[in-house]
Amino acid sequence: MNKKRNFTFLIACIACVFSLIYFTNLYAQPQGHERVVTPPAEKLESEGAKMVSGLKFKPLDFTPPKVERLTLENGMIIYLLEDHDLPLFHVTARIRTGAVYEPPEKAGLASLAGYVMRSGGTVSMPADKMNEELEFMAASVETSIDRESGSASLSVLKKDIDKGLKIFADVIRNPAFPEDKIKMRKDEVIESIRRENDNPSQIAHREFRRILYDSKHPYSRKVDGTLETIGKISRDDVVSFHRKYFHPNNIILGISGDFQKDEIIRKLNALFTGWNKEDVRFPEVPKVENRFEKSVYYVYKDINQANVMMGHLGIQRRSPDYFPVMVMNFILGGGSFTARIPGRIRSDEGLAYSAHSAFQTARDLGIFFVACQTKLESTNRAISIALEELEKIRQTPVNHEELAQAKETFMNQFIFRFTTGASIVAQKIDIEYEGLPLNYLETYLENVQAVTQEDIQRVARKYLHPDKIKILVVGDREKFDKPLDNFGKVNVIELP
Amino acid sequence: MNKKILVSIFSVFTCIALFTTGGSFANSLKLDVKEHVLKNGLKLLMLEKHDVPIVCVRINYKVGSVDERPGITGVSHLFEHMMFKGTKIFGTRAYAAEKPLLEKEEDLVIKLSDERGRGEAADKKKIESFEKELGEVRKKLRDLVVKDEVFSLYLRHGASGLNAATSTDGTYYFCDLPANKLELWAFIEADRMKNLVLREFYSERDVVMEERRLRTENSPMGLLVEQLNAVSFIAHPYRWPTIGWRSDIQHITKAETEEYFKRYYAPNNAVIVMVGDFRPDEAIPLVEKYFGDIPAQPAPPMVKTVEPEQKGERRVEIEFESNPYLAISYHIPAIGHPDLYALDILGSLLSEGRTSRLYKSLIEDKRIAVMAHAYNGIGKYPDTFTFIAVPRAPHTVAEIETAFYEEIEKLKKTPPTDWEVQKIKNQLEADFIRGLNSASGLANEIGQFEVLSDWRYINTFMDKLAQVTAEDVMRVANKYLSKSNRTVATLVKKENNHKTKEARGTDASVKPAMTY
Repeated sequence: MNKKRNFTFLIACIACVFSLIYFTNLYAQPQGHERVVTPPAEKLESEGAKMVSGLKFKPLDFTPPKVERLTLENGMIIYLLEDHDLPLFHVTARIRTGAVYEPPEKAGLASLAGYVMRSGGTVSMPADKMNEELEFMAASVETSIDRESGSASLSVLKKDIDKGLKIFADVIRNPAFPEDKIKMRKDEVIESIRRENDNPSQIAHREFRRILYDSKHPYSRKVDGTLETIGKISRDDVVSFHRKYFHPNNIILGISGDFQKDEIIRKLNALFTGWNKEDVRFPEVPKVENRFEKSVYYVYKDINQANVMMGHLGIQRRSPDYFPVMVMNFILGGGSFTARIPGRIRSDEGLAYSAHSAFQTARDLGIFFVACQTKLESTNRAISIALEELEKIRQTPVNHEELAQAKETFMNQFIFRFTTGASIVAQKIDIEYEGLPLNYLETYLENVQAVTQEDIQRVARKYLHPDKIKILVVGDREKFDKPLDNFGKVNVIELP
Repeated sequence: MNKKILVSIFSVFTCIALFTTGGSFANSLKLDVKEHVLKNGLKLLMLEKHDVPIVCVRINYKVGSVDERPGITGVSHLFEHMMFKGTKIFGTRAYAAEKPLLEKEEDLVIKLSDERGRGEAADKKKIESFEKELGEVRKKLRDLVVKDEVFSLYLRHGASGLNAATSTDGTYYFCDLPANKLELWAFIEADRMKNLVLREFYSERDVVMEERRLRTENSPMGLLVEQLNAVSFIAHPYRWPTIGWRSDIQHITKAETEEYFKRYYAPNNAVIVMVGDFRPDEAIPLVEKYFGDIPAQPAPPMVKTVEPEQKGERRVEIEFESNPYLAISYHIPAIGHPDLYALDILGSLLSEGRTSRLYKSLIEDKRIAVMAHAYNGIGKYPDTFTFIAVPRAPHTVAEIETAFYEEIEKLKKTPPTDWEVQKIKNQLEADFIRGLNSASGLANEIGQFEVLSDWRYINTFMDKLAQVTAEDVMRVANKYLSKSNRTVATLVKKENNHKTKEARGTDASVKPAMTY
């Protein structure tokens, strides 16, 4: 019965449409009870809405559990949340590392190291034995390294906490990195790179990143690497990459589930004996140059639906304008059917199943984009609508109703950031890792509430540049409704 | 079962963690679901979970693409989309003004379609005038619409995980709410069951066509699965895709959709599931108040067509601009058949985790594939057990197919080890416990099994599973995984790309940054 997940995964190789706005670290904390600002009745346009406004809702009574933060002697930061409802135990760790620190000629190194750390077993426990032990107790230990961070996790039943923790600590401290498992993983990555062009949306995302960032900047690369760079990675590279970043003082650890705090601290100290603080020197990552230039790109593929990505550089995660930008994007194209871009492209004109906008934030400037897929014959129409909407939100203040809809959605949904102990702890870790204020959750509602119509227009003007936008289309332009060069000189990207 | 939840109102990764368990916990790991049935046949299933003040509500209708017929395939899913377009009181500024316009729109659409249907003999002037008039009517209609109001209202009140999905066997509406908003849900959902209005029907039909292009026509895996099902089944309605055939989506009429709504969206064909922070003694009166006056309808018919026994291997090849994929399916019985438990274990044994047979053999040892899965598809009617693989170049689908059969043959001759069977039972038990963490997951689970047969399937599953022996697994492998019972679908790269380089355009070539 548990097998039933597979096909969802297989079929769902589509971008996560409207949920893109809710980045993992977008949460907040209801303080005692939620605040619902019910709009005045005369503004409600439908009979149903008027009737709903007459319903009385009790205040929501909820105090989020307190998460404890402490630092071990070896410099490791620990977040703890006891939750004794179920006999479960969960550990999640963030390691300060990432693909941004790998040399460009060895692109793919960080990701490879992050994968083989776990898949290759440890010095004292070969991979086969580790797989058998973990799977027999229905536990999992997983690791990965992404563009700007590394992570490791353990999920285990309470009765197996000791065994699980031992393997978890061993994996992050003493991975074996056997030659054969490195080769196996490289071969898998090579196959996935070979297959990228099978999927229009993968082509679009890969090429969009490449045209957005300067080719010298690590943000322009895929974290997987390329056929060429993967070939250049040796076992020594992998071993030294791990050795360089995996030190206790470079790790934030979160623990949730059915445990006793004092006991678990004792266990951690025992497991980490002899693992000491060490200085980590991070290679310098160049600043993203804040440059905007209009350009149009086209990739030919024999398909009957164009895959469109358009946008430009966005904002940093720590931007002081983060909240207004988030609310602005909800109104523009992030807030599912209620947003303007999907409202016009999908709902009014039936041109696409998925049409949305998003700000993907990063440590440095991230990406703002609008994405949609539409039949070839309406490609230009869909692009034009999106451009009109970018211009409109810059020129005209959003109305009171739209702003209220956006803010109330964020505020009233906050409770869902607290549904499990593991998710609460994960948020606390992310906040610290991203360098956000540690009271981020406590001030979240105020920050959303403070956003005004003026803020929206200010950030729309500051961060949206329809006149300097990059447009990328994958499809067959012979069938487009209008020539693509209506938007500017077309650069053709050749696929092999 | 998720295999069939192919299509939804919009795409988010709905993680539907189906859980089960077995062994020592079997007696304690049961869900304490309370049941209440209204006089009109509407069933309410309730599970209290008070740790966080949220309530996860599902309303599921026992209708899916299996209940369709050629000509209107995809209507269940199209209808699911229409459920978000409002009612007589939601989504409209004035229904009284809208109603005659909607009728006028429909009249013009039929006239236009008839005239166009005359082909060469069609009167172009008539077509032009109909189109003009239709444009004017639609403009007036648009002014009366309050866009996507049901969705906006839910969001504004803090709803999360708002979505809907359609499978071969059921249609599911998802909504997680802050616990104090249960009445909002009852108000809106009862109104949708009573007073739905098919507005913006034709633009939404186009949206569904775009969904089909996205999920199926331009996706190698989507195409593969569609063709596999179409060939695996020659008689039973599982043979057509849940999203519908292209020509059917383009031609489904409003009248057909309305008739479908009346027949299937009745209280006696629906089930409501609530999981979370609420009290049944408050929830029952609420549901009675809003849904109690909706009249029951005659019970919809069951599907009578039975898929005849397969009399030999079937093969289908799809040419597409993509690297190769392979899928093989075997017919198995429907939910309720005792062999399904052993087939569940067989599926896990083959592809759950790094110690599974297919992973160790095809991915780790032979290294001929980068993905290899086996999947036990449980349906309301007899469905299939399916293998899927992604080969690693230069290895071919033929090599993978041979390797699959080798693994199957081993299982037919030798039972799995005790260690393997116990490992799977341990995992299913732990999955059950982890599943209890999520009110949303539990609501999905209860609702889906109730649509298939009975939510109690969940509570008996662990005991049934505990009884499965290694010999049972070997027995079902022999019984179902036979050559004459299988259909093999391969997707291969289309030869000779017809476009020349000139046609693709080389005015300002940008070289790819990397070798693909």
